[in-house]
Amino acid sequence: MTFLRLDNIKKNYGDVSVIKGVSFSAAKGEFVVFVGPSGCGKSTLLRMIAGLEDVSEGELYIDGRDVTYEEPAKREVSMVFQSYALYPHMSVFENMAFGLRMAKKPEAEIKAQVAEAARILQLEPLLDRKPRALSGGQRQRVAIGRSIVRHPKLFLFDEPLSNLDAELRSQMRVEIAKLHRSLGATMVYVTHDQIEAMTLADRIVVLRAGLVEQIGSPTELYDTPANTFVAGFIGSPKMNFITAKVSATGPSSLVLDGAAFVGGKLVVETPAAGKAKVGDTLTVGLRPEHLTVEPAQPVLALTLDFAESLGGSTQLYARGEGEPIIVLTAGRPALQPGDALKLGIDPRHIYLFDAAGLAL
Amino acid sequence: MSATQTKPNRGYGRWTPLWFLAPAVVTLFAIGIYPTLFALVTSFRRYNIARPREGFPFVGLENYVAVLTDSTFWASLGLTAQFYLTALPIQVVLGLIVALLLHKPGMGLLKSLARVTLVVPLATTYAVVGLIGRLIFNRDFGVANQFLSFAGFGPVDWLSTPNGAFAAIVIMDVWQWTPFCALIFLAGLSMVPGEIEEAARLETSSKLALLRHVQLPYLLPGLTAVMILRSADVLKLFDMVFVMTRGGPGSATDLISIYIQRVGFRIFDLGTASAQAILLLILTIIISRLYIRVLYREAH
Repeated sequence: MTFLRLDNIKKNYGDVSVIKGVSFSAAKGEFVVFVGPSGCGKSTLLRMIAGLEDVSEGELYIDGRDVTYEEPAKREVSMVFQSYALYPHMSVFENMAFGLRMAKKPEAEIKAQVAEAARILQLEPLLDRKPRALSGGQRQRVAIGRSIVRHPKLFLFDEPLSNLDAELRSQMRVEIAKLHRSLGATMVYVTHDQIEAMTLADRIVVLRAGLVEQIGSPTELYDTPANTFVAGFIGSPKMNFITAKVSATGPSSLVLDGAAFVGGKLVVETPAAGKAKVGDTLTVGLRPEHLTVEPAQPVLALTLDFAESLGGSTQLYARGEGEPIIVLTAGRPALQPGDALKLGIDPRHIYLFDAAGLAL
Repeated sequence: MSATQTKPNRGYGRWTPLWFLAPAVVTLFAIGIYPTLFALVTSFRRYNIARPREGFPFVGLENYVAVLTDSTFWASLGLTAQFYLTALPIQVVLGLIVALLLHKPGMGLLKSLARVTLVVPLATTYAVVGLIGRLIFNRDFGVANQFLSFAGFGPVDWLSTPNGAFAAIVIMDVWQWTPFCALIFLAGLSMVPGEIEEAARLETSSKLALLRHVQLPYLLPGLTAVMILRSADVLKLFDMVFVMTRGGPGSATDLISIYIQRVGFRIFDLGTASAQAILLLILTIIISRLYIRVLYREAH
């Protein structure tokens, strides 16, 4: 059941086109995350759903109703801002009650709703305080409380955790995930942090330069990225890319030439082998966590440049002929910078992209 | 060794800062502090320069008693309060409307032009405002009566009827000070963080609620400043009214500073006039403190 639908939404500022046609729909109760680098238009898209930004072209539906040109307050959405945007002169209680007051709800109901939200978010002892007497995490909880008391149809989050420190951020991330589960509400969440995207989302929309690059569940994006951009954006540390030339093709395999490969060649089994011709330039994608050190069947022969121990795991930076290769490995391999490094990988985890960057 | 050591040359001596400060301090003393102190001392003296033979003896609080029992003084003060209470609300409301219009997005160039023109009345000398007022409200060729005639009304005797004269000085004051209110409120409106305004827009579509609950708290400090400045200014308002009406007809526009000027420079009773001026100063200070206490606390 489609609950939120964007139909070829566009946004132009004069001649500059910021959102170049985004179509997408979300089911009721879904947690959708917009992710992408800064300037990709993800916040603009969210603000268009909220009604804070005019839609230049296209249509927007919430719960079956066309709200493309509806006023923000009449869309029954609520939004949590990066800067919290609490009313500075109102107490925590008044901040949460404001929307209900404006909707002319009876006082008893307002009290009950705010008390309920305060209980969920553990804000009860803070209700009389002004926002300036709260910590960043508390302010963000008040902002979330303000959005849940109104029981909106749609919750919007605009990078809500960016102003918090790392520890608080992961804590709030868990709280938001719990909130989503307990309320069962439809949420749209904007972030540039792919960890937030991976952990929170039912579905991720990857945006770049005003266009959708790929839509899918976190595991779908991780396992079958549509292109090198998504492949590089999802996963941390980011995927390694090696350029290689096709030197021979078989019915279900390709032979690739590249200086980094053992013996200068790599044979890849792939059902998409037919799509490549001899002489094509391909990009080979290898995730750092899939590479293994000193395997039985090495694939890459490189030189170790630098090793960072993270305690339980080690991040290795290796140098071949081309770009540096990052490897994430468990334990602490006994290697020194300058040592020869042989790396292997499960053939199922080799990604191939064509010259345009699209998955083969 | 130490005897031969000289202080490093800092480029200035011990007294140099004094010479930089002295002109300002001397000027302030000459045109601010000295006259105030002189007025304070004079207010305790019988000081009528039309009767120099009586000398200028100290008479204690006699002048103050005379002022406080003078019904004309109270009437003038009442009229000044009436003037303030008529003009200020109009200025605040009109100023707020202008500020809200200028705060709306769009029409960049026209808005900048409008903002610049707002400064024109502020930069106009009071006496010139009075002269303009005399032209505008002239019975025979004034533009005010011309506009009334467009609307089908006959000519109004603005400056020679008590109500007309009072209305005329209020209108000129509104003309001069509405832009000031607008600029102050515009500054206040631009202090409201964009995201807070947006958060409110998601919760209410009423512009009035947005103004009352979100923008107004940011306007209160500015409103306090306007009220303090205006009350001090109205209490000393002289040139504009003097040029337009000389306090007349009768005592219809006899504001407090016009009255004090008359006592001081027509009757030449400088002792009484000084006592009046000092009382006015005290009143101004009390009113200012009051505003700051009541309004600033709410804003912070």
